[in-house]
Amino acid sequence: MLGSIKGLKVTLSTMMRKPVTAQYPIANKRLDIKKRFMGFPALLWDDSNSEPYCTGCMVCVRECPTQCMTATMADNKKFSEGKSTRKKIIDSFGINLSRCIVCGICVDVCNFDAIEMSHEHELSKFQRNANRANLKSLLAMGKTFQSKIKWEPIQIKNIGNPDLRERLQAAAKAQSEKINANEGKMDGKPEGSSL
Amino acid sequence: MTWEAIGWYVIGAFGLFIFLSITVMFLTWIERKFLARIQQRMGPMRVGPHGTLQPIADVIKLITKEDILPSWTDKPIYWLAPLAIFIPAIAIWVTIPFSETLVLQNLDLGLLYIAAISVLSVLGLVMAGWGSANKYSMLGGLRAVGQLISYEIPFIMAILGVAILSQSLSLIDIVNDQSAIANIIVQPLGFLIFLAAGLAELGRTPFDIHHAESEVVGGPFVEYSGAHWAIIQLAEYVNTFAIAALIAILFLGGWSWPSMPFTGITNDFLSLVWFLIKIYAVILLIFWIRGTFPRLRIDQLMSFGWKVLVPVSFINIVFTAIIRFYNLHWSILTVISLISIGIIFYLIYKTPQKSRKKDSIRIISAKDAVNNPPKNYGDINVR
Amino acid sequence: MKISENINESGSTVDMLINMGPQHPSTHGVFRLVLQLDGELIVDAEPHIGYLHRGSEKLCETESYSQVVTLFDRLDYVANLNSELAYCMAVEKLLELQIPDRAWYIRTILCELNRISSHMLFYGVYGLDVGAMTPVLYGFRERERIQSLFEQVTGARMMHNYIRIGGVKEDTPPEFNGNLHTVVLELEKAIEECDELLTQNEAFLARTKNISCLTIEDAIDFGVTGPILRSTGLVEDVRISEPYGIYDRFDFGIPIGSTGDCWDRYYIRMQEMRESLSIIKQAIKQMEPGEVQAKMRRIVRPPKGECFVRTESPRGDLGVFLVSDGSQNPYRVKVRAPSFANLQAIKHMLEGVYVADAVVILGSLDIVLGEVDR
Repeated sequence: MLGSIKGLKVTLSTMMRKPVTAQYPIANKRLDIKKRFMGFPALLWDDSNSEPYCTGCMVCVRECPTQCMTATMADNKKFSEGKSTRKKIIDSFGINLSRCIVCGICVDVCNFDAIEMSHEHELSKFQRNANRANLKSLLAMGKTFQSKIKWEPIQIKNIGNPDLRERLQAAAKAQSEKINANEGKMDGKPEGSSL
Repeated sequence: MTWEAIGWYVIGAFGLFIFLSITVMFLTWIERKFLARIQQRMGPMRVGPHGTLQPIADVIKLITKEDILPSWTDKPIYWLAPLAIFIPAIAIWVTIPFSETLVLQNLDLGLLYIAAISVLSVLGLVMAGWGSANKYSMLGGLRAVGQLISYEIPFIMAILGVAILSQSLSLIDIVNDQSAIANIIVQPLGFLIFLAAGLAELGRTPFDIHHAESEVVGGPFVEYSGAHWAIIQLAEYVNTFAIAALIAILFLGGWSWPSMPFTGITNDFLSLVWFLIKIYAVILLIFWIRGTFPRLRIDQLMSFGWKVLVPVSFINIVFTAIIRFYNLHWSILTVISLISIGIIFYLIYKTPQKSRKKDSIRIISAKDAVNNPPKNYGDINVR
Repeated sequence: MKISENINESGSTVDMLINMGPQHPSTHGVFRLVLQLDGELIVDAEPHIGYLHRGSEKLCETESYSQVVTLFDRLDYVANLNSELAYCMAVEKLLELQIPDRAWYIRTILCELNRISSHMLFYGVYGLDVGAMTPVLYGFRERERIQSLFEQVTGARMMHNYIRIGGVKEDTPPEFNGNLHTVVLELEKAIEECDELLTQNEAFLARTKNISCLTIEDAIDFGVTGPILRSTGLVEDVRISEPYGIYDRFDFGIPIGSTGDCWDRYYIRMQEMRESLSIIKQAIKQMEPGEVQAKMRRIVRPPKGECFVRTESPRGDLGVFLVSDGSQNPYRVKVRAPSFANLQAIKHMLEGVYVADAVVILGSLDIVLGEVDR
């Protein structure tokens, strides 16, 4: 009988604690989403040049395990005017979100930092085909995501604005030269390293 | 009987029915909330503040829901079964008093009436089990009958013990007899027997064998839906309330123990409140047990009923009778009861482990296992 | 119900055939058992599987090596990381890759956490199987802690795709160490609490002790592995008999039962959670910063050949047999699923027990239908 009485004690002591459950759809009562959370993929927007990062290179489309994406590319008019570093630009992009398994492979394979797993994860829609995201809605998802986590491009070579890219590249080059120089110094005479 | 008296009975029965329905709605809410807190959940929160209007939403949903009739059912039996469960559940309340005057009809043989009527609801379970044309329902209905006899005898024996103490079968007399000292102090053993048998009668954990969700998926009620299911559910909760009220009356002294220093209307009102508090305390105890215990198997319930409850209830009756006959002091009975409870608990504590030692699991360190492989590697004869 | 259904031509009653599943609350998914009942006693049981067959093994042949990880996530959907690890180890064995130490520590910590969360789910649903409704919510409460930790690290709560060929996807976030520490402390307390609630409860003991005792010989004949094999008294755990990864660096115990009944199977899992916590604690101490991904080509193309790796998943011995023909896609992937092998014993175990026991026995096997049917 001792074991049962211990069990009764456990349930009674748990009753005194605060509930651990959350009230899901209510805005300030639901659980927080962690920073790395993988929701549906979204296309990112290059603010420096007012165009998407995506060039429509189709790598993500090919690598997707469920073949839930489609994309077409077009020539970038801005490139011929010299206002952009992107020769090609995405023309149309579609993701069947009910087919997507949020594995994150498309983000891994992207060479242009153009796609990112957003924090969007709610699938319920009122129309049957409403969870087929097109370029417009994907970019909207991406914009919300970028402003939410204050996203910054990972590789400088992907920045669309030619002037900005040159400036940043020069700065990075100077930085790396400085580090190399310092490392050289450290290799030569370790006692003199002040860094 | 005059027309006036009949009119009062009708009004009283109607009032009782309304009271019970509201109580049941409150009970469903309190059970959900209580279990939720035990499990660190919130329970119903959406309808009304803290989900207080949830039962009303449930009732509306159940009444408006389609009543499904599976095609192979035995139709008259299928439709009559909920009534056969519901009528005994309400009929018990005819003689359960809320205070000395607030009772529909006080019967001198009230306890006998209750013991007789409460068995009837099992008939409804069997009817539901057979009529549904579902094998799970069938199993559940047969389980309900199977367990009936094993708990019904201790149930009546525990009632008899109380009747011997107060020399009456009328519930009001029993309550008034306890104004000095409540039966739970005199007969703790009888209280535990009645609680266990009552739980089995209600089909609540750990004896919810006939509608075990994980085995027979709801037992006799698998096929019911809508209003008929609502009636069955109503009957279950009315029964729960009735058993709790009986425990409060038979063992906790009803409204009269401990007696209050008030008189007149205040006294009447406060004793009614006091009685309801006792009932709800018992109900919370039942819910608490539900939140903690696993379910027993049908044969284990039977052996528990026959091998533990029946002999122990006989002991209870014999000692009660001896003490009553020789007019000994009640504390002797308390001591005897407590000693027997100790012995039973010790036996229950020992039984499951008797066949094996408690610590049958040993932990082998990984390094040991690599260095000296255990001997039984070589002993195995692989066929 | 018709009386004629239950009586044969000669007038005597016949056994009742009852379909347990595929939609039954305690068959742990879409598993179907056809039981032949004599009253409450089971005369014969016939298990049927295949309701969750998705052709995963065949699908693997059409996906590239790095995409297959997502399919392995969905095999054992309760312990996803453990299945991912088994597959990645197989590819790495073919590639003869050297995995960085830190990647192995992250893998080990996460896999052991996943073992705890899987056993916590077992604890909960086993409580539900024997009829107690509170354990399942306690189990899920603890699982939630682990899953939110996974969400921080891998970005997903269940289908992680985090363990990759050659290491892990990315390093742990900076707040991981602190959170892991609190989770370990909370879990220690919670396991004690769960233990107190159910393990020694008399009704629970009555329901599980001496039910479906399995002998060592039978267990080996049926190919049973994992906690069920260990409950019979045999010391067999891939983590010690064929240590993979960095398991030889830890000092941990293997719980061993003696009779192989349902209670032993249950309690071995409770003890395994404690041992997993001790592994995690040692791993936190030993872990050092470093690389988390081996240097390798982006497109995985293992040389021609085949290999078989064994790992200890929460359910038992999870093996992956991989054949490569040198192309981008695997030529054949065969999963030796522990749940599938453990389920073989169900017919033997169910002979002559009560209907109520059938549920308890099936629960004690702790099958995951995603892995059984593949």
